[in-house]
Amino acid sequence: MSLWVDKFRPRALDDLHYHQGLSARLKSLAASGDFPHMLFYGPSGAGKKTRVTCTLRQLFGAGVEKLKIDQRVFLSPSKRKIEVNIVQSNFHIEITPSEAGNYDRVVIQELLKEIAQTQQVDLNAKQRFKVVIINEADSLSRDAQAALRRTMEKYMSNMRIILCANSTSRLIAPIKSRCLLMRVAAPSDEEMQTVLSYVARRAYFDLPPEAAQEIIKDSGGNLRKAILVLEALKMQSPDLSGPLTIAKPDWETYCQKVAVLIVTEQTPARVMEIRAKFYELLSHCIPPTVILKTIAEAVVSQVDETLKAEIMHWAAFYEVRMRIGSKKIFHLEAWVVKVMSLYKVRLFLEF
Amino acid sequence: MAPSQKTAKPSQPAGKDIRAFFGGSQKSSQKTPNATPSAAVGSNDKSAIEISDDDDMPPVKQTSSSKSTPKPPTDVQAKPKPSAAPRKSAPPALKPMDVDSDGEPAAKKRKKPAALLSSDEEDTPPKKKPAAGGSKPEPRLSKVKDDDDFDDDDEPTPAPKFGGPKNTLVLSSDEDEDDEPPKKPVAGGSKPKPRLSKSKKDDTSSDDEEPAPKKPVAKAKSKPRLSKSKKDDDFIASSDDEEPAPKKPAAKAKAGPSKLPDKAKNATAKEPAKPKFNYAARAAGPVAPGSKDVPDGEENCLAGLAFVFTGELSSFSREEAVDIAKRFGGRVVGSPSSKTDYVVLGDNAGPSKLAAIKKHHLATLNEDQFLHLIATRKGTGKLDEKTLKKMQKDKEAIETAAKEMEKREKKAGSKTVDPSSQLWTTRYAPQNIKEICGNKGQVEKLQEWLKDWPKSVKSGFKKPGKNGMNVYRAVLITGPPGIGKTTSAHMVAKLEGFTPIELNASDARSKKLVENGMNVNNTSLDGYIGGSRERDGVMITDRTVLIMDEVDGMSSGDRGGVGALNAMIKKSKVPIICIANDRGAQKLKPLIQNSFSLPFQRPQANFIRSRIMTIAFKEKMQIPANVIDQLVAGSQSDIRQVLNMLSTWRLSSNTMTFDEGKTLAKMNEKYTIMNPFEITSKMMGPYMFSATSRESLGDKMELYFQDHAFMPLFIQENYLKTEPARLRNYDGPMKQVKYLELMDKAASSISDGDLVDALIHGPEQHWSLMPLHAVCSTVRPASFLYGMGAHFGGANSISFPQWLGQNSKQTKLSRALSDVQIRMRLKVSGDKSEIRQSYIPALFPHIVKPLMEVGASVVEDVIEKMDEYYLTKEDWDTIVELGLDDKKDDLVLKKISTATKTTLTKKYNGSEHPIPFYKASDLGKAPKKLGGGPAPDIEDAFEFDEPVDDVSDDDKKDADDISKDKLIKAPKKKAAPKKAAAKTKK
Repeated sequence: MSLWVDKFRPRALDDLHYHQGLSARLKSLAASGDFPHMLFYGPSGAGKKTRVTCTLRQLFGAGVEKLKIDQRVFLSPSKRKIEVNIVQSNFHIEITPSEAGNYDRVVIQELLKEIAQTQQVDLNAKQRFKVVIINEADSLSRDAQAALRRTMEKYMSNMRIILCANSTSRLIAPIKSRCLLMRVAAPSDEEMQTVLSYVARRAYFDLPPEAAQEIIKDSGGNLRKAILVLEALKMQSPDLSGPLTIAKPDWETYCQKVAVLIVTEQTPARVMEIRAKFYELLSHCIPPTVILKTIAEAVVSQVDETLKAEIMHWAAFYEVRMRIGSKKIFHLEAWVVKVMSLYKVRLFLEF
Repeated sequence: MAPSQKTAKPSQPAGKDIRAFFGGSQKSSQKTPNATPSAAVGSNDKSAIEISDDDDMPPVKQTSSSKSTPKPPTDVQAKPKPSAAPRKSAPPALKPMDVDSDGEPAAKKRKKPAALLSSDEEDTPPKKKPAAGGSKPEPRLSKVKDDDDFDDDDEPTPAPKFGGPKNTLVLSSDEDEDDEPPKKPVAGGSKPKPRLSKSKKDDTSSDDEEPAPKKPVAKAKSKPRLSKSKKDDDFIASSDDEEPAPKKPAAKAKAGPSKLPDKAKNATAKEPAKPKFNYAARAAGPVAPGSKDVPDGEENCLAGLAFVFTGELSSFSREEAVDIAKRFGGRVVGSPSSKTDYVVLGDNAGPSKLAAIKKHHLATLNEDQFLHLIATRKGTGKLDEKTLKKMQKDKEAIETAAKEMEKREKKAGSKTVDPSSQLWTTRYAPQNIKEICGNKGQVEKLQEWLKDWPKSVKSGFKKPGKNGMNVYRAVLITGPPGIGKTTSAHMVAKLEGFTPIELNASDARSKKLVENGMNVNNTSLDGYIGGSRERDGVMITDRTVLIMDEVDGMSSGDRGGVGALNAMIKKSKVPIICIANDRGAQKLKPLIQNSFSLPFQRPQANFIRSRIMTIAFKEKMQIPANVIDQLVAGSQSDIRQVLNMLSTWRLSSNTMTFDEGKTLAKMNEKYTIMNPFEITSKMMGPYMFSATSRESLGDKMELYFQDHAFMPLFIQENYLKTEPARLRNYDGPMKQVKYLELMDKAASSISDGDLVDALIHGPEQHWSLMPLHAVCSTVRPASFLYGMGAHFGGANSISFPQWLGQNSKQTKLSRALSDVQIRMRLKVSGDKSEIRQSYIPALFPHIVKPLMEVGASVVEDVIEKMDEYYLTKEDWDTIVELGLDDKKDDLVLKKISTATKTTLTKKYNGSEHPIPFYKASDLGKAPKKLGGGPAPDIEDAFEFDEPVDDVSDDDKKDADDISKDKLIKAPKKKAAPKKAAAKTKK
C-alpha cells in the first residue's frame, strides 16, 4: 500500500484541486496541436510534476503512465563513465542531468540529439512529437543550458521540452525566451485544506479542521510534506483529536540543535563542534542551502530583535557564496563565526 | 621635569573637569560636533583637546581611532604601560636633542606638516585647506590673522575643532618656530586658559613645543620629546600612547646606545615586577621589534663569554639576540650553569632558569645592558689568559696543519696535476684517518674489517671478529650527502693497501653488466681473452676492493642491478663497500640482509671547524670561527658544500663577516620539502607572522605552493586551534570579542578562498589565480590566528582535514540516495532532496520503526511496504544510514535485534520482489569488467611501454562492446520486470 501522497495523486488535469486556471490553459494547449516548450517553476511540493504528468496524459492518453526506467552510460570527454537514470514511456522521456554533475552537458548533447533525430515510430500516437522532461533544470550548468538552446529550435518538429525548476533565476535568458513559462505557485491555506480533506475522505476518515490547520502551518506551502505529515499523524494518533504534536523530521531537529549551540556559547571549540555537525548533515545528503536556511531561521527566533536583520543578511550573503563556491562547509562555517561574533559583541555591549 | 611628569596624571581628571567647563563653550562655538562618536569616547578626546592648546592633533587621532575600535581597549592599553615607559626613560635622552631642535629640525618640520596636511585633508571639509594654504605663503604676518580666522571659522563651522583647525594650527606653529614664540598662544586660539599659562613657559622653549604636535601625527619616533617638560606635552604623549605599543620603544631606541646606563637602571627596576609566566606571550615574539639598533661593537668583543638567553626581549626575537651574541664572538648556551658569564633576561623568563641564576649567582643583563656591553666592551684585549691561550693554541694547530698540507702538496706536486686547478674538495680531501671529520668510530670499524679481510676469507667468513663484522662480505655505508662517505671508503682502502674499483651512478649497473663485468658466474672467457681482468686500469686481484657508490641511485636503467649485486655479495672473494644516502630505501632491502650496516652521522660543527679553518688559512682567507659555524649550520654539516661555498667566495673576497656568512648560507640553503602537517604548524605557529619574522609574503605563499591541494584544507581544519598571538594584550570578555572578530576575518577569508578555488577548478580554469588563492585560503587566515597551538605547546594537535573523508562519505551516500530515488520514481515524483527530506522521515515509521519496536513478527509487513516502493534490502540499509540525530544509524540498528535483522534479510532474499529496472552495472557488465583481460602486471606496466597501450586498447574495446551489448540487452530484460511490476501494481 503506497503512501497517501502517491496513492491519491491526481492523474488527469480535471482532477486537480487548485490552480484551475492553469489546468484549463494546459488543457487547451494540449488540445491545440501547437504545443510549445514549457518551463514549470515553483517551490517543491506545489504540484509541478503532477501537472506535467497530467498534461502528458492529456496529450498522449493513458499510455504515458506505462513507465520504464533505464540506465544509460555516457562517456565524458575524459573517458569517464557517467551513469544517468532515464524514466521513459513510449511517448516521453525524463532525465535528471544534474545526476551527471559537471558532465551534464554531455548528457544533454548526446541524449537530446539522439531522441530528437528519431521520429515517433508509433503510428497510433496522438502526437507526432515526443516530450523530454528535464528535472532540476535550475541546477543545469551554463554549458548544458547553452547546449539546449539550438536543439530546442532545430528539432522542434520531433520533440518538445518541458523543464522543471524551483526558480528561474539560474536559467539563462535564451532558454527562458524559448519556453512558455508556467508558474506553479504553492497552494494557499484554503487550497491545502481542500486537498487534505479530500485525502481524508479517500482514506475514509474525518479530518478535524484544527488538525488540518496545524498541519498546514507546519508544512509551509509544501503539499507533499503536508500529506506525508497527515499520514504520519494519523498513524500516531488515529482519532486526530486533542493537541497534536507534529514530529519534525530528523534533520530539522538536528539543525535546531545546531542553532541552540550557536546561541549558547561562542568559542572556537564550539565552532569545531558545529563543524562536525555540519559535516554530519552534509554527508547525510541534506542540501547546504536547506541547512543554512533552517538554522538561520532557528537562530533568528532565539536572538534579539536588532540582530535578526543582520543575521539574515549574512545568511543570504553566504548562501550566494555557497552556490558559487565548491566547498560548502567553508561558507557555512564562516556564517556561523560571523553570527557568533555579532552575537558576542551584542552581549558585550549589553554589559 | 620631574614635577611635570607627576602632574601629568592628575591632569587627566582635571581635564575632564575643564572639559565640562568648556563643554558648553565648545558646543556653542561649534554647532555640529563633527566628531563625537560616542559619549565614552568623548571624554578622552575632550580632555586632550583642552589641555594641549596648540595641538588639536592628538584628539583627532583619538577620535578616529576610537571610532574604529571600541573604547575599552584603548583605555587598557594606553594608561598603564605605555605612558609610564617613555616618561621614565626618555628624559635623559631628550635634553641633547632639544638643543639641536632649533637648527636641524627646521627642515624636518617643514616636511612633516605637509604630511599632516594631506592626511587631514581626507577627513576634513574642504574649507580648511584654503585656510591652511593661506597661512603658508606669508607666515609671519598672517599668523595672528590666521588665528583670528580660526576662531571665526570655528564658530560658524562645526567640524573644525577636530579636523580643520588642526591643519592650520600645525602650519602656523611651524612658522612660529622659525620666527617667534609668542604667536603660539595666539595660534592656540580657541582655547583660553591653558594656553596662556603655557605661552609663558613656552617663550623659552617654544621651539620644542611646536615640533611636538606634529610628531604625534607623523607617528614618528619623536615622541619622547613630547614628554619632556610641559604638562601639555606630557598629556599629548600619553594620549598618543593609545596607539600601538611599538612606537614607544622606538623612541627609546633612538636615544639608544649613548644613554644606556640610565635606561638600564629603570628597566631593571621594572623587570622583576612581573612574576607570572606567560608562555603565550613569549611565543608571540617581542613587543617592539626592531626598535633598537645593534651598536657597532668591536669585533669579537664578546669572545670568551658564555651567554644564556631567557624570556622575551622587547625588541629582538630570541633568534636575533642569539645571532647578535654570536656575531660578536659570544657563545650561546641553552641553560645557565656556573660557567655562564651572563644571563640576558627578558620578560617572562623561565622559572627554572631564574632558579639556576640564583643558585650560581650569575650576572644578569637586560636587553639594554646587553647592547651596552656590546657597545663598550673592548674585544680580545679583555680576554682572560685561558681563552687567549686556547685561541693561540688553536691558531698554531691550524698553522701547522696548513704547513703540513703545503708540504704534502709540494711533494705530490711533481707527479700529479697542479693542485690549483683542482677543486677544493679534491685538493683538500683528507689524506689520513686523522683528517676525517667525524664518524671516527665508523671509519675505524671499516678499516679493521678491511684489515681482517684476508683472515676472514681464509676462515670462510665464520669468525665474527671484534665488531662482528667479519662474517659479512660487504659493508653498507649510509648517511646524508657531503659528510665523507666516499672519501672514507677510498681512504681506508688505500691505507689498508687495497686497490679500489669504484662503480657509481655514472656507470651502467644492470644485472647483465654487473654479472659479466665482474664475471661472477665465471661463465665467460672474456676475462682470459679480452684481458678484461683489468678494470679502470687496475688489475683485479685479491687486494682489490669494490666500492659500489650511490647504490640507491640504481635506477630503472640498472634493472636487476641490485639483485645481481646482492648475488655477487653472497659469493664475493673481494670486499665490497656499498654506499647510499637513505638506508630505508626500498631498493636496498635485499642488501641490508647481506651486508654490515655502517650508518654515518653528520659531524658536529666543531669537528669541521678546525679543518675548514685550516683550509681557509692555507688559502689566505680570513674567516672567523663563528662565521664558519654559521656556514656549517646552514649547510647542515655538509662539508663538501661548505668547501664549495668558500671556494666560490674566495674568487671575490678574502674575508667574510658574520652577516655575509649568513646570507651565503641562506643562498645555498637546500630546498626542503615539508609535509602539510609541518607546513600548517609553521604557518599557524607563533613565529611566521610575528613582527620579527623575516619571511616575506612570497615566502609564505611558497609554503602554500608546496602542497597547494592540501594546504587550504589543512588550514581550514586547524585554524581554530591556536591561541592567537594577536590577543595577548586583551583580557576577559574583550578578549573573546576580539577572538571572534579574528575568527570571523579568517573564516571569511577562507570563504573567499573557496570562491577563488571555484574559479581555478571550474570550467574556466583560471590557474593564474593560484597566488590569490594562496593568500585567501592560507596566508591570510593564518595571519589572523597565528599563535601558540599544536606543536607549540597548545592543546590541540594538528589533524588531517576531515573534509576529504566527509566529502567521500557524502558522495557515497548521495549515490545510494539516488538509487533509492530512481527505484521509487515509478511511484514518487520528488527529486533526490525531496526524498531525503520528506519521504525518508515519512517512510521511517513504516519500514524501520516497526522492526525496532515490535521485532521479527512485522518483517513481512515491512517487506510488503518496501515492495510497494520497489525498495531492496540495500535501499533499506541506505535509509537507515541516512538517519540523523535520534534516527542515527547506529542508534537505530542497536535497537533492532540481530534476530530481526537476520529474519529480514532471509525473508527478503527468500521471496520475489518487483524490480523497476535493471541497473546497467547489473547486466553482466561487472563480471566482464573483472574478466576483461588479466589485470596488467605491475612489473610489465613499468617495464615496457607498448604492451600497456595494447592492454588499455583492448579494455576500451571491451568496454565499448559491453555498453553496446548492454544497451541491446537491457530493454529486453527490462520489459519483463516492468510487466511484473505493472501486474503487482494493479
